[in-house]
Amino acid sequence: MSIVENIRMAFSSVLAHKMRSILTMLGIIIGVASVIVVVAIGQGGEQMIKSEITGSSNTIEVYYEPSEEEIQSDPNIYEQPAFTEEDLTALSKVAGVKNVVASSSTQMKTQYRDKQSDSAINAVNEAYIDVNALEIAKGRMLNSTDFLSGNRVGVISNELNEELFKNKNALGKVIWIKGQPFEVVGVTKKQTGLLSFGMTEVYIPDNTYRSSFGKLEYSTLSLQAEDANQLKQVGNHATDLLNALHKTEDSYQVNNLEEVADSIGSITKIMTTIIGSIAGISLLVGGIGVMNIMLVSVTERTKEIGIRKALGASRKQILMQFLVESVTLTLIGGITGILLGASGAFLVSFFAGWPSLISWQVVLGGVLFSMTIGIIFGMLPANKAAKLDPIEALRYE
Amino acid sequence: MIKLSNIYKSYHIGKEEVPILKNINIEIKGGEFVAIMGPSGSGKSTLMNIIGCLDRASSGVYLLNEQEISTYSDEQLAKVRNVNIGFVFQQFQLLPRMSAVENVELPMIYAGVSRKERRERAEEALRKMGLIERMKHLPSELSGGQKQRVAIARAIVNNPNLILADEPTGALDTNTSTSIMEQISALNLDGTTVAVITHEPEVAAYASRTIVVRDGKILIGDEKESDNL
Repeated sequence: MSIVENIRMAFSSVLAHKMRSILTMLGIIIGVASVIVVVAIGQGGEQMIKSEITGSSNTIEVYYEPSEEEIQSDPNIYEQPAFTEEDLTALSKVAGVKNVVASSSTQMKTQYRDKQSDSAINAVNEAYIDVNALEIAKGRMLNSTDFLSGNRVGVISNELNEELFKNKNALGKVIWIKGQPFEVVGVTKKQTGLLSFGMTEVYIPDNTYRSSFGKLEYSTLSLQAEDANQLKQVGNHATDLLNALHKTEDSYQVNNLEEVADSIGSITKIMTTIIGSIAGISLLVGGIGVMNIMLVSVTERTKEIGIRKALGASRKQILMQFLVESVTLTLIGGITGILLGASGAFLVSFFAGWPSLISWQVVLGGVLFSMTIGIIFGMLPANKAAKLDPIEALRYE
Repeated sequence: MIKLSNIYKSYHIGKEEVPILKNINIEIKGGEFVAIMGPSGSGKSTLMNIIGCLDRASSGVYLLNEQEISTYSDEQLAKVRNVNIGFVFQQFQLLPRMSAVENVELPMIYAGVSRKERRERAEEALRKMGLIERMKHLPSELSGGQKQRVAIARAIVNNPNLILADEPTGALDTNTSTSIMEQISALNLDGTTVAVITHEPEVAAYASRTIVVRDGKILIGDEKESDNL
């Protein structure tokens, strides 16, 4: 007897008890769907966190951390600028460096008429604007002219716009930063990312900072590589260069964001595995449900089994019939669960702005796993059916 | 064709061994029409189950078509039932969710016959039973006599050389009984060996020989006695 024949029989039997079949499948459907949703959202979240950390602009941050000895020999070491103009020029010549992004952030009193705010004044170089791709909601971004001629202009964050202007139009208005007037030319978009906290900020050109407040000390410096694969190499060259220029041993270092991202990734992986296995348990419970119904079905169909045996069905053929039937149940349940889980994950990502990834591995795994459940939990009922004595089965009422 | 020698069969009820068949010797030749009679509890059903390869004797030798069935495995017995034996039961034993033609196809599924050939042969068997226009009907939509004719069609569809009928008219009225027995006789005339188990003398009258079983023994009709008759 062919497998096609078995599948045909299984379908007619599943269809004969529609309600019961659906209820039986429900356990598998819920199990598979929840596994799919959890894994899809978990993987999507991991990807999102990683991209939030490393950014899409293949940059690497350089930071300055003096060693114990250096601090001891010069207690005022933190007073000195970490990065100088010369450093920037030298770094821009390192092979593979596309842009040197430098900025400094200072808390300053910002004022518009009678409203005051303590804001972060970000003095940035031109590369900062290119690399960080700040999104402008109103007005314009700082442009090359602003940087070259050191115009007294600034772009304020959406939050500062709220605080100083109560969300009214700020463009063209003059705000006072530490007693210096600045014209607002743009307002940034409200940041929606996972790691943004919504701060009151003003972005001004570095040259403007110098002409307004005097000496500028870059506190943050990052390098944009021409190629993401060069990032590590570029970082190493840059720190070697800086350590040589400043005659320090190992004080200039790069933050390897990939490592941070990887460790966060492994945390989300663990979370996904834990939640996924809890969902997996519900699959197991679903499997037990299938076994239960199959046992009932075998008892109900004792006479049918007797007739089939009298007509020449062997044990193996009866076993196969019931095994295929339980696999059919779990497989239909599994496929329905995958579709349901995929649309659930899609909905979550749609409404929560959270990417969800449905990999073919998970889908294939879902199909194979539900089939395996069908085989494992179908074995006992099928074996019971196969072992029935034909004479007693025929007499069964 | 069938040769039972010293067949003994007992069941265990608790610790007690209850003998059902004692020292049975029967020979049925190919093409014969035999009736097996006996009161209920005589062991005739057990005898039929053994002949039909649904059950095994506790001891003794059973030869079917010169093959020693007593030594066969379960899988081999299933094959013998499928190929060599056609069953007709008192309660028809049709699968209720399948149409007449699907019921007739059933033995061929287990014989591995292709779908197309199955349908052709099933229709042919139903035509022979005069039920071709009812082939799409479910058993519940058929009368008792029609159900039994579907069952006969199913019994003959794999061209077995033995038809075993267990009270084939037990659930039917007299007129229908007659037509069913005539159909079974016709099969016998075509060369198929037929064994009918019955307690009705009218049914047994169709047979050329009657074997009477009582208390697990052959009362009349075993080989030696029939030779004497």
